[in-house]
Amino acid sequence: MALVDLLLVVGIIAGVYSLLAIGMNMHWGDTGLLNFAHAAFFAVGAYTSAILTTPPATGDLATRVVGFDFPILVGLLAGTALAGLVGVLIAITSVRLEGDYLAMVTLSSAELIRLMIHNEAWLTTGAQTLKNIPRPLSGMVSSGGTIPVSYDVFYFVLVWAIVGVCYLLFTRLSHSPFGRVLHAIRENDDVPLALGKNVTTFKLKSFGIGAAVAGLAGGLWAHYVYAISSIMFLPSITFLIWAAVIIGGAGSYAGAVLGASVIVFLRQITRFIPGDVPFGDQLAYIRLMLVGAVLILVLYYRPEGLLGDAERLQAGTSE
Amino acid sequence: MTLLEARGLRKTFGGIVAVEEATFEVDRNEIVGVIGPNGAGKSTTFKLLTGFHRPDEGTVEFDGEDVTDLTPDERAQRGMVRTFQIAQELTGMQVMENMLLATQNHPGEKVLAAAANTGSVRGSEAEARDRAEELLKFLELWDLREEYAGNLSGGQRKLLELGRALMAEPDLLLLDEPMAGVNPDLTDRLLERIMELRDERDMTFLVVEHDIEAIMRISDTVIGMHDGKVLSKGTPEEVQSDERMLEAYLGGDV
Amino acid sequence: MVLDPQLIWNGLVVGSIIAVSALGLTLIFGILNFINIAYGDYMAAGAYVAWAVNAQVGLPLGVAIVAGILTMSVGAVVLDKLVFQHFRSRSPITLLIVSIGLAFIIRNFIRAIWGPSGHFYDLPMEANPSFLGVRFSVEQVAIMVTSIVLLLGVYALLRRTRIGIAMRAASDDRMLSRIRGVDTEKLVLYVWLIGGAIAGLGGIMLGLDAQLRPNMGFTALIPIFAAVILGGIGDPKGAVAGGYTIGVIQEASVAIIPSEYKFGVGLLALIVGLLTRPDGLFGEATR
Repeated sequence: MALVDLLLVVGIIAGVYSLLAIGMNMHWGDTGLLNFAHAAFFAVGAYTSAILTTPPATGDLATRVVGFDFPILVGLLAGTALAGLVGVLIAITSVRLEGDYLAMVTLSSAELIRLMIHNEAWLTTGAQTLKNIPRPLSGMVSSGGTIPVSYDVFYFVLVWAIVGVCYLLFTRLSHSPFGRVLHAIRENDDVPLALGKNVTTFKLKSFGIGAAVAGLAGGLWAHYVYAISSIMFLPSITFLIWAAVIIGGAGSYAGAVLGASVIVFLRQITRFIPGDVPFGDQLAYIRLMLVGAVLILVLYYRPEGLLGDAERLQAGTSE
Repeated sequence: MTLLEARGLRKTFGGIVAVEEATFEVDRNEIVGVIGPNGAGKSTTFKLLTGFHRPDEGTVEFDGEDVTDLTPDERAQRGMVRTFQIAQELTGMQVMENMLLATQNHPGEKVLAAAANTGSVRGSEAEARDRAEELLKFLELWDLREEYAGNLSGGQRKLLELGRALMAEPDLLLLDEPMAGVNPDLTDRLLERIMELRDERDMTFLVVEHDIEAIMRISDTVIGMHDGKVLSKGTPEEVQSDERMLEAYLGGDV
Repeated sequence: MVLDPQLIWNGLVVGSIIAVSALGLTLIFGILNFINIAYGDYMAAGAYVAWAVNAQVGLPLGVAIVAGILTMSVGAVVLDKLVFQHFRSRSPITLLIVSIGLAFIIRNFIRAIWGPSGHFYDLPMEANPSFLGVRFSVEQVAIMVTSIVLLLGVYALLRRTRIGIAMRAASDDRMLSRIRGVDTEKLVLYVWLIGGAIAGLGGIMLGLDAQLRPNMGFTALIPIFAAVILGGIGDPKGAVAGGYTIGVIQEASVAIIPSEYKFGVGLLALIVGLLTRPDGLFGEATR
């Protein structure tokens, strides 16, 4: 049934975006860090896993030289770890900066990383597509195989299982003493400092952990779509995840997942509309404009988002 | 016995000398009050002591250790804890959370331990809760423990500020204008608490204040500053009758 | 580094574009106190409107440029009334995120109307003359001249006119100027009119020098922002100095690093600037 297939694909995308949003929520919702480099972590995770698991193509037109044949699990773990490391590196230059400066430095760093991916074709296939990324268990999953379900069903379950685990992990971290320090940093940099907390170290950890889960999302994405190119990792991804976190409710991990799903649904909704529609060519852009508009409206009418804590946001403001 | 020693502290901002020369000591188990007219350099000295500013010259020694190059958090870990003048309660966190934050060496603040929620983490947390309960009751804030700190009244915030600093089990508590904007009733209560803590818990205090009466009431030693220099040091009576201090206050500092 | 005069010339041209754009951004920041990420897209919008008037409608370039500038000048005011005004009492971070939403909308609006691929202005193709071994084009000279005229004009505005002086005062201390009876809402209106116009002009110059793409403003925002920060956020002199500095370094860097990474220079300048001189080149940054 075509509709079920479509829903599965949309669901998988929503799962990947949910992971991205979970990472972003640790940065912004828990720690108050304006991270605009998220798309770069996504890309690092995707490309690392792809390069480690996909040998380079042979032939005259092949541009990529570097490639390996490691198992997918290794690729995913490496992608996660490297993304986390890149997160820490970017953070080192900027966590001491004030909010909006941090935003611009992270934004610029992400652009630089995307430029490198775009230009260093020997490593990443540059502007062209990196193809033939292996799909996990692709041999075993099919109607006649060992696991008798369609591949999309398998991947859907896989992704959302990982989302579930991450949700539990991150929620626990948020409610732990570690999370408490992050929340304090979000409210005020000086107080945790005066109480003996090394604020910089906590910020770096927050950045690294959030970036790592974005890298995991990247790896999962790469192995699903089995072909990636730099055009998939534009800053608009970062903005979409921001919109997801804010619309869903900054500070709430359930909100992050909900917001991501809403955003993905908004973007994919036109797949479900049959036939020719006026402005059909521009639909992709109109959808993105819609996201921008919704973001502004949410910030105005319901700044705590769908699942956020209004009381927390309003405490201390003289209303 | 000396707990804190400031020697030859100096700090300039741009062309302005905020602190020209500050040298003084704080002994264990005493309350030291710092007074002076506006612009005397009290606030800057306070920040130099607690690590929020780096001195151009001079040293700060705490419990025999040179802490001049240490960051504020490093000093707090060694037992020097400060409060803030404009009570920097963490608005989006509840009163109890504010208190628990101040726990020192909590294993739960490490990521892996927090993720695993080990027994040691749970144990430390329970211990911290007990201590927080005791302090909150002492400060009469227990009923507000689940209230967002941002919703507290000004006086309650001051008390929370104090309570939070106490949770960190400081050897030396540095209070930055704790009486600012506080009504006389609460001022009395705060002063009594501070003296109680000195007597019953062996704590040492350094208090920067504008309220001269309050300082004279509780201080064992008073330090008078003016124009970035320490002008007068001694008992409250000595400093109060020191002509130089009288001149400084009447001298028309704007 | 090979101080190739051609690269220096290119650097001055690019520097002019950055300096002018940075000036607009820093003026807006000085009065409104938030970083407007949509500024880059204001630039792009100005460039595209001018292009539409020039290449699609067929009017001469001069008319098109005026159209682009006017559209963004008025457009900036309209967008303020529609969007930013409702968030005046909110934190700068909220405004930053709002501006991101707005940037999204504008950028995709441009894509929706004019498509995602690149365009060029309808200019007569001429051979580029040479002078002292430096090759230059008419467009580049036009950019330099226009920039200098604009910079002098804004300088005069800020120093000599009442509204300019009020802008500087408000930029230094918003509370104080409110007490002194300066009409803040009128100031805001003027700052958007001027800032929007500058953005439009900056975008057009960018399009003349390079190419029109929907994300042109966003990409340019990095060196522009670097210039603003280096110069001290809110400081017009600094923004201009920072703009030329970055422009020259960026273009001269092509001698030693691959040209695709030119923008990396801007980023590096930004990071270095923020870490070493948080108060900007002239030490006057007010935050």
